[in-house]
Amino acid sequence: MSTFSGISTALSALYAQRQALDVTGQNVANANTEGYTRQRVDMNAVGGAVTPARYSTTDGIGSGVTVSGVTRMRDAFLESRGQIEHAKYAYLAGQEEIHARVEEVFNEPSDTGIQSQLSDYWNAWHDVVNQPGDLAARAQLLQRGGTVADSLRSADDALDSLWNSTLTQVDSLVTEVNTAADTISQLNKAIVRATAAGLPANELADERDGLVLRLAELTGATSKSLDNGAVDVYLGGAKLVEGAAFRELKVAGAGSMRDVMADPSNPVALQWKDTGADAGVTSGQLASSLHSLNTVLPEYTARLDEVAGRLAATVNTQHARGYDLNGAAGGDFFTATTGTAITAATITVGIGDPAKVAASSVAPTPRTDGDGNPLPPTGNLDAGNADALAELATAAGGPDRYYREAVTALGVASQAAQRRTAIQATVAQNNDAQRAAQSGVSLDEEMANMLLYQRAYQAASQVINTINSTFDSLFGMIRG
Amino acid sequence: MTYMRVTERSISTRVLNNLQGNVSRLEELQVRLSGGKQLARPSDSPAGTTSALSLRSDIRTQEQYLRNADDGLGWLGTIDTALTSANSQVNRARELVLQGMSSGAGGSVSARTALATEIEHIRDSLIGVANTTYLGRPVFGGAASGSLAYDENGTHLGQGGEVLRTIGDNTKIAVNSDGEKVFGTGDTQLFKVLTDIADHLRNDPSALGGDLGRLDTAIDAMQTEVADVGARYNRVTQMRDTADARILSLKTQLSDIEDIDLPKTITELTLQQTAYQAALAATARVVQPSLVDFLK
Repeated sequence: MSTFSGISTALSALYAQRQALDVTGQNVANANTEGYTRQRVDMNAVGGAVTPARYSTTDGIGSGVTVSGVTRMRDAFLESRGQIEHAKYAYLAGQEEIHARVEEVFNEPSDTGIQSQLSDYWNAWHDVVNQPGDLAARAQLLQRGGTVADSLRSADDALDSLWNSTLTQVDSLVTEVNTAADTISQLNKAIVRATAAGLPANELADERDGLVLRLAELTGATSKSLDNGAVDVYLGGAKLVEGAAFRELKVAGAGSMRDVMADPSNPVALQWKDTGADAGVTSGQLASSLHSLNTVLPEYTARLDEVAGRLAATVNTQHARGYDLNGAAGGDFFTATTGTAITAATITVGIGDPAKVAASSVAPTPRTDGDGNPLPPTGNLDAGNADALAELATAAGGPDRYYREAVTALGVASQAAQRRTAIQATVAQNNDAQRAAQSGVSLDEEMANMLLYQRAYQAASQVINTINSTFDSLFGMIRG
Repeated sequence: MTYMRVTERSISTRVLNNLQGNVSRLEELQVRLSGGKQLARPSDSPAGTTSALSLRSDIRTQEQYLRNADDGLGWLGTIDTALTSANSQVNRARELVLQGMSSGAGGSVSARTALATEIEHIRDSLIGVANTTYLGRPVFGGAASGSLAYDENGTHLGQGGEVLRTIGDNTKIAVNSDGEKVFGTGDTQLFKVLTDIADHLRNDPSALGGDLGRLDTAIDAMQTEVADVGARYNRVTQMRDTADARILSLKTQLSDIEDIDLPKTITELTLQQTAYQAALAATARVVQPSLVDFLK
């Protein structure tokens, strides 16, 4: 035990308390920094020499304090729960959003939606019943049929552009995932080096954990901390980031909604860029977008197709049973703009001449000229077929009922998505608050700590002062 | 005993979430109040949406029934007027036949010729009545596309069949009268009977007895049709009233489903505003004090 060891003990206290004050200052400075984790100085008492040696004696009193490290106060369990809950929330919020957009496309219940237009169309048939010979009533019928077809096509178009914009969004999100994975791997490298050199890398770790959380939100990825300070990020059982290495994702599969509908076995998918294997994204915003692209949007487009198909099939079948103003049998009322399949994307009115609306169900009387040669038939003003067509409005299996079923199914799905999102939002927000409570900076606590460190610093100074004055009296004796 | 750790950030996270919840409920109520609808999109109430869509469709159908009924009333009214006029003319013809018969073969030829001429005028006028049109269509012509039901000789040009109007769910009613039913066919066809009468008045008064019988048959047929048209007119009127009442009831139902309950919504809005203000005031008080305030 050296004579002056008391001074060095007090000096170690001065160093340690000042460092603690510095960390408190850092905490206060970052009280409102997003993603900042409060830090704590770990202080250890330095014990005396316990192994006696020649010429060395010990009184067993320790020789001060040392700062063994600066730790981030983080609850690993809350953090990993946070990743899972945020991923779920991002998925559900994405589903709520897409359903809300589809609801906007359908725009029901309203006086301008497809249901109202279908009603107007059937009523136009009634008007033709009332005025079979009136070309104005027939022209109005063609216009109303055209309006229904236009609305179906524009709804289909809206769903299609929704699909395309979702795909664009997936592209940019995948870029974000790849960039984040890259940055995480670089941060991992820096952190491992710093840790090996015994330097704190807490701020880097905060930045990296923020990116890991963002990856979780995007893809449902989970993370595992390693002893050397790095984290590995897992995606669907494979490693997205492994230490200083990372893998990239790419978007593959169908390029348009009609492709997905034509071949459901080749959906839009996320694959590993290096192996081309499926990345297994099942949660997070990207999984939600994939679900929208492969299931939600094609489903409602298929329902619109079914409405268009049923409308065309029922009307065309009945229309063919009637006779137009010229006595000719009715042609196809609805046709396809391209190809032969009548879908929501292709439906259009195939009749341009109002006289060709086959309102009559009475076959024209055969006519002959004076010599007994057949003349072209003339039509009549019967409206039995128009009446039968007007009644399709309430037909079982007709387009109206199917359309209402589709809108109801959409409402149920959308409502379920909203409710699930609301519940998950509460869960995720509670987790955020808990994380903020665990790793956030409490100003009260920092103020209290500051007092402690300040007082300890003052006391250590006082110790040096006291030792100094003790020596003063000793030296005074020598001088004296 | 340990306490859950609380930090400024966890307080502000929770407080902000709660305030956000308050504001979003406030916004929802304000949107409802300003839009006047509690059912704006299918997810607001999927079951209500189904009803709302059906009700809207039903309302439009009933409104169409009203239009159909109005059109039917136009047809039947036209027919009724035509038949009333025809009836009085036919009765006049019958009187003339009786006059001709009472004078018999011994009566003066010129008197009978005068009677015959008047009969011929009545016949022409009746053919005019038989060609009565409603909106350009001969009401006794059935489905024929021509503008005449009878030519000037009294030959039927029409096409049989009924002109139907749908005036209620599964309710169709014929709004025309078949010319062959009103004016008869073959030997008892009114115009042929009248032509024969005019001929017999001039040339063969003894045959008038038989003609009278045929005329009576034709008159009977016409009167049966007048009664029938009247009955149909009443039925259409009743169905029209039914459709009117039904539209009112459907609109009430739709309003119950779609529209907001104004007093209820306003009360809820006021409550929500109060709750929001209370939350703001509480937040201001809770977040302010800190140890900093007390360390001097």
